[in-house]
Amino acid sequence: MLAQISLHFPALQVVLPLIASPICMVLRRERAAWGVALVVSWASFLIAAHLLIQVLDEGVISYHMGGWPPPWGIEYRIDALNAFVLLLVSGIGALVITYAHKSVIAEISPDNRCRFYALFLLSLAGLLGVTITGDAFNVFVFLEIASLSTYVMVALGAGHDKRALSSSISYLIAGTIGATFFIIGVGLLYMATGTLNMMDLAARIADLGDSRTLRAAFAFIVVGIGLKLAIFPLHLWLPNAYTYAPSVVTSFVAATSTKVAVYVLMRFVFTVFGTRFEFQGLTLTYLFLPLALLGMFVPSIVAVFQENAKRMLAYSSIAQIGYMLLGISFATVAGLSAATIHLFNHGLMKGTLFMVLGAVAYRLRSTDIASMAGLASLMPWTMAAFVGGGLSLIGVPLTVGFISKWFLIQAALESGQWWIAALVVISSLIAAVYVWRVVEVAYLQPAPADSQATEAPLSMLIPIWVLVLANFYFGIHASLTTNMATRAAEMLLGAGT
Amino acid sequence: MIANVLPLSLFPALILIVGGMLIPLVPQSFRKVYMLALPVVGLLHFLSYPFGSYGEISLFDFTLSIMRVDGLSRIFSAIFFIATALNIIYAWHVRDTLQQVTSVVYPGTALGGVLAGDLITLFVFWELAAISSVFLIWAGRTERAIKASVRYLIIQVGSGVLLLGGLILYAHDTGSIAFDLMELSSFPVLLIFLAFGVKSAFPLLHNWVQDSYPESTVSGTIVLSIFTTKLAVYSLARGFAGTEQLIWIGAIMTLFPIFFAVIEDNLRRVLTYSINNQVGFMVVAIGIGTPLAINGAAGYAFCNIIFEGLLFMSMGAVLFRTGTIQASELGGIYKSMPITAFFCIIGALSIAAFPLFAGFVTKGLIIDAVSGEHMIWIWAILLFASAGVLEHAGIKIPYFAFFAHDSGKRCEEAPPGMLIAMGISAVLCIGIGVYPAPLFALLPFPMDYQPYTTAHVITQLQLLLFAILAFVVLIRVGVYPPEIRSTNLDTDWFYRKLTPAGLSVIGRGLNVARQWISASSQKRLDQFIGRLYRLHGPESTLARSWPAGHMALWIAILLGVTLILNYF
Amino acid sequence: MTDETKQTQAGEKATWLDNPKHIDYLVWALVALCVLVAGADFFYVKHPHFDVEHIRNFYGFYGFACFVFIVFAGKLLRKLVMRDEGYYDR
Repeated sequence: MLAQISLHFPALQVVLPLIASPICMVLRRERAAWGVALVVSWASFLIAAHLLIQVLDEGVISYHMGGWPPPWGIEYRIDALNAFVLLLVSGIGALVITYAHKSVIAEISPDNRCRFYALFLLSLAGLLGVTITGDAFNVFVFLEIASLSTYVMVALGAGHDKRALSSSISYLIAGTIGATFFIIGVGLLYMATGTLNMMDLAARIADLGDSRTLRAAFAFIVVGIGLKLAIFPLHLWLPNAYTYAPSVVTSFVAATSTKVAVYVLMRFVFTVFGTRFEFQGLTLTYLFLPLALLGMFVPSIVAVFQENAKRMLAYSSIAQIGYMLLGISFATVAGLSAATIHLFNHGLMKGTLFMVLGAVAYRLRSTDIASMAGLASLMPWTMAAFVGGGLSLIGVPLTVGFISKWFLIQAALESGQWWIAALVVISSLIAAVYVWRVVEVAYLQPAPADSQATEAPLSMLIPIWVLVLANFYFGIHASLTTNMATRAAEMLLGAGT
Repeated sequence: MIANVLPLSLFPALILIVGGMLIPLVPQSFRKVYMLALPVVGLLHFLSYPFGSYGEISLFDFTLSIMRVDGLSRIFSAIFFIATALNIIYAWHVRDTLQQVTSVVYPGTALGGVLAGDLITLFVFWELAAISSVFLIWAGRTERAIKASVRYLIIQVGSGVLLLGGLILYAHDTGSIAFDLMELSSFPVLLIFLAFGVKSAFPLLHNWVQDSYPESTVSGTIVLSIFTTKLAVYSLARGFAGTEQLIWIGAIMTLFPIFFAVIEDNLRRVLTYSINNQVGFMVVAIGIGTPLAINGAAGYAFCNIIFEGLLFMSMGAVLFRTGTIQASELGGIYKSMPITAFFCIIGALSIAAFPLFAGFVTKGLIIDAVSGEHMIWIWAILLFASAGVLEHAGIKIPYFAFFAHDSGKRCEEAPPGMLIAMGISAVLCIGIGVYPAPLFALLPFPMDYQPYTTAHVITQLQLLLFAILAFVVLIRVGVYPPEIRSTNLDTDWFYRKLTPAGLSVIGRGLNVARQWISASSQKRLDQFIGRLYRLHGPESTLARSWPAGHMALWIAILLGVTLILNYF
Repeated sequence: MTDETKQTQAGEKATWLDNPKHIDYLVWALVALCVLVAGADFFYVKHPHFDVEHIRNFYGFYGFACFVFIVFAGKLLRKLVMRDEGYYDR
């Protein structure tokens, strides 16, 4: 029986949250809706874990939707790379939803709470779908499911701050333009090759060789995804969306949605197009690399000056995307490994930090840095978690951040560009500066005498600390992630040859 | 994996680090006993390890070796434990949890560095030592202390960054992260060398010692004076033994602090110059690198920790009781604190290397190693520096604090904890001086060395007694410079006065530094930050919330660029 | 040792060192010791590493000279680097 079901795990991975979503909507009791979301999220996580183990043991899983073989039917194709991303997305989803209950009550108005859980599951299903599917058009569909539900979730922040509405609108516009570009690109590919299955696309593109249609498709897809990814300077939607969305939404979206976009970028650039075209190398070297370097610095410096901790971390996220893009732009096994490792690790650290801010917002009703004065004495565990996540963000040894930076620096040195390695180190110092600002306020300034804040509830602290410990666990037992990432990178580059 | 992790769980450094972190949970009444138990248990446990490598874990392609026990790491570890215990006894009266925790955790991190078998582990503890020690300066809780702690932290973390940069490049070049003898011939190794140099306070890199240590608390300064520089000495001995450049670097290190120490009024700051000078002797020995010389460096470090600590302790006691440590305000204190004065004189005799005291038997090793290599200039410099040590540490410290002009200050004798710690140190000073065999047995290399020969004793007495005679003559004719409260410029002038901008750029984001700078009206820097702020601050072009139209514009631009790149 | 302006407080017993005569004893004792160790050079066989060590009482002269040099150099240095106490706080 279980063996029978496990055969269909690839489908269930997406279908389960997709079906559970309307159930949440129908349930009118928020506690029940939360319960459903909780069970489904953890079930998704277990499925993802199972799939990952299966991929590690048996290699690529190809699942044919409805029994139609590719390239006619839709194929779900799971290899080392996306199994890894699935695990991250579902794991963060499960932890965030565990943590969500109190935070949702605090930040989202009562009649919207069931809707939130429905949207959350929808978004989860969308992100998992984007990751798992082997079909280019299917990517678009799931990308839209994930994005649309995210727009609405951002707008739910309006109960707390009206600016969430305008943020949501501009996110919607940007996201839609991105999606349109992406679908134009996929359309062009279809025009050139007559197929939508990614493996099939890869094979046919290899046969067809270079063409103008192909180049246009490449440009549209890269820019479209770049927008979802918030590559500097296509990041303008991100700071507001992250700042004004409810804390739970920010924690989830920041840790997963841009990561999935990075995955899609790598999938298309390396698996679908392969690394055989000159124009690809040009784009990587002359577009991605400069943007990555700019992205590492400009948003970091902006982050230093932010007054709101959530906004500060939002800018920091843009900078972190710069690191991933940097890894991708090397187009080497080391570079792609570094990008994949950082994709996973950044999910862990930003998940931690945004969840901490959610706990702070829960007690203080604010995430202004100034309002966090002396918070370390009032919420010691919460702020200690911030320090843990912050250390990881800076890249202190024994944390995952160090592993990321280490591999990135190795990748830069390997491609003979030691100055890039130096820039990575310098930009990390900027991270130290903005993390320190919060630590300084929370630890060294006295708390206002009338402050009522107390330690965050356990339902929030436990998921936060699970992530903090994950930051250290994967920082020490780095071989778990690095082996996966190296395998994924070799697979990505191997597919093109 | 499990088998490798097991010995780690009992890692001696962790006994101090974790045990230290748990201090706040122990009730005050029981706390002192608990704290004292930590280094005692730690030392006994440490001594149970036979020589070898422990706690190997793999990180990426490298194998970390968390703990290496051999002759060199054993002697440094042993004295670190002993010094930690002495400091805990000395600070028996302190009830400040912050100081209690750091005075155990920080030695633990330094110990971790000494035991590190690879460069990554070394780096981790290197930075941990930097971060944990800064709290001791902070514990001074004055504005000066906080400012000094920020400068200290920047320099210490900077040293760690050098080490990290060096080790990454080194690992990339050689594929090895082993913390063993390195050849100073490539850029990565130079970075590592500089990192060690900053921490051991090479000439011109030395001033963080004088800047920060005297700002700590009575007992905090003593803890600080011991571990950071000695960890660096150990690292040099491990990584750069026999590196010739060190001979001259060390020789200069023994020289220049002497002159600053003569004119310094703050007696604890005089002792910080003495640290530089003493570390100089060790660095010379490391540069020579023969087994005898390395024994000299290690043995001298061992004894120096005891007698330099004793001097710091006695000055701490004076500061604790009288509220000042300025030579110009002290004098005649022996009437109130005779026991402290007695212990201080023993420390002074030891550091000046009088026969029958700890300094004599170990400094002799270094001088003999130098003359054995027939380096006449280095030999002359070290003798000169020995006269200098006598001047500032042997005479100035006890004389101006306890004798000289009677300042009229009357106070109580030091509290019992301080007296016991000083007493044990004094007994060790004399014990090692009279019967050095157990210490010699602990040295890294076996040797056949006889400290008490007629020539040794006579020549040393000639040097010291005639130098004292010079002091008496100068005092009698009224040439000896009077004590004046002042600020004496040192290399810190470059970063505190000449290029505050340079420093502040580094520390700018650290908000403390930022506020401190804008307060001190650094116009140009303000302008620079202002420009950054206009470009990156919340209201700037880069940080403003933009309408969706601009995003669309950017997308168009980027698509254009991509297409152009693709079509040409 | 040379201090004549005693500030011995009322009711306090003067110590042995408070008497300037006793200080003089100490100084003479030091001189006597110096003569003793300098003279000792005539009575044992040296195995020096350097030629200068053959000079009788070389260490004594060298120590004396170094000490005087250090003190005078310090006085000079003070002219160069001494500032008032609040120098860095301005």
